[in-house]
Amino acid sequence: MSLLEVEDLRVTFDTEAGPVEAVRGVSFSLDRERLAIVGESGSGKTMTGRALLRLIRPPGRISARRIAFDGVDMMAASERQVRALRGRRIAMVMQDPKFSLNPVMRVGDQLTEGLRRRDRMGARSAREKAAAMLEAVQIREPDRVMHAYPHELSGGMGQRVMIAMMLIPGPDLLIADEPTSALDVTVQAEVLAILDNLVRERGMGLIFISHDLRLVSRFCDRVLVMYKGRVVEELAAGRLEDARHPYTRGLMACLPRIGGDRGPLPVLERDEAWAR
Amino acid sequence: MSALIEIENLSVTFRQRGREVRAVRDVSFSVAARESFGLVGESGSGKSTILRAICGMAPVSGGSIRIGGAPAATGRAFAARVQMVFQDPYSSLHPRRTVDATLAEPLAIHGRGDRDARVLAALGDVGLDASFRFRYPHQLSGGQRQRVAIARALMLEPEILLLDEPTSALDASVQAEALNLLSRLRVERGLTFLMVSHDLAVIDHMCDAVAVMRDGAVVERLDRATLADGGAQEPYTRQLLAASAYAAPV
Repeated sequence: MSLLEVEDLRVTFDTEAGPVEAVRGVSFSLDRERLAIVGESGSGKTMTGRALLRLIRPPGRISARRIAFDGVDMMAASERQVRALRGRRIAMVMQDPKFSLNPVMRVGDQLTEGLRRRDRMGARSAREKAAAMLEAVQIREPDRVMHAYPHELSGGMGQRVMIAMMLIPGPDLLIADEPTSALDVTVQAEVLAILDNLVRERGMGLIFISHDLRLVSRFCDRVLVMYKGRVVEELAAGRLEDARHPYTRGLMACLPRIGGDRGPLPVLERDEAWAR
Repeated sequence: MSALIEIENLSVTFRQRGREVRAVRDVSFSVAARESFGLVGESGSGKSTILRAICGMAPVSGGSIRIGGAPAATGRAFAARVQMVFQDPYSSLHPRRTVDATLAEPLAIHGRGDRDARVLAALGDVGLDASFRFRYPHQLSGGQRQRVAIARALMLEPEILLLDEPTSALDASVQAEALNLLSRLRVERGLTFLMVSHDLAVIDHMCDAVAVMRDGAVVERLDRATLADGGAQEPYTRQLLAASAYAAPV
């Protein structure tokens, strides 16, 4: 049995102009591996990630033939049951630390809140555990960072704080939404190494949502390519250059290459049929 | 003949609550007319600060900036020669001004006439039709906004465009369109580009030469051929190179 099985996932928003489907019939399964979901903005990749945690608010709604996480039927589970899974067993790192961390709460308090309230841990041991996790994500002065407010951290630090926060409960599945797109390549490499380590050593499953085809081809095991709410192609990450779908090929072709000719870059011609 | 942009031993120092931060340290480079020069580096390396210093928006603490042989000034005459395109098209356009108002403002400030014809021509130049003229930024996609920002920078027919990560907020396919647009305009108008990016592949596509920056200083200079031949020496440059490649075929 896979860690996660998703069949025919749909996310629909009811608008004045009628229902709009942001995710339209996505199916995949995930083991303890690194699965990438790539696509351009509006392709439904973030909505897919949020729907797995049932984090879609009205007027949005989720439907699926089946979402099973480690044998638990997520569609049938009560809100209470889902809340018990969120954070503890399935965690999500959101895209932007500026909007996802509480701006008026010190980093240390945010990091230990879960440990203290959920796990009823004492203040000192919670802080020790949080500091250890900050060290694990390569933050050199964990004490200074624990005392800081989010606006006092750089984008890369904030991103690592969020990753640390999500990793403290030791989740079995981590959904990471563009976790490194705000980071410089040097820091990016460190963060990817941390995630990689967790997949290898702890057997965590990772869903890595990204717009960066080159990055996922180097880092992930498998890639789902999304276009307008649908998965148009699924392939092994290392074989991305053998992609067959015109959308995947088009996306790759329009990126400049070092040493490439300097003529106009090919522009993606979209075909209505891809979305059907 | 001297270069169009000459930066010599430029230093920029920010002073904040008695603390000094040297954001740019002794940087020198020059860009000939109609050339395109790139600056790469991670955030905080000082690359954007150099662009801002050229425009008089950063405190220069040493060295010199010369444009066309004369010290860079601020004010109207300078603005007519040098214009900047910013990274984030979501924050660089005024949310309550129509495209028309945004494009016409430089004309009004510089007392240039023929407003309607120039605004329409500018829209056409960046591939937007006349129906965009009275829209607000929130009615445009990211790529369309960046086209408006490019059009605004070109309203005064400058010689030099300072491009601060002009496509990093855009999707890959939209980035390709914006880069094609910039390349075409450069040839058509004989522009000189100074472009900042963290994406070495974008710089390689657009620029003749590149300086790699770290901690405010230039650590390596490369031309296109050296870059393509894998001649980069600095570990940081090699990391940037790796980030712009796909997985090696298995």
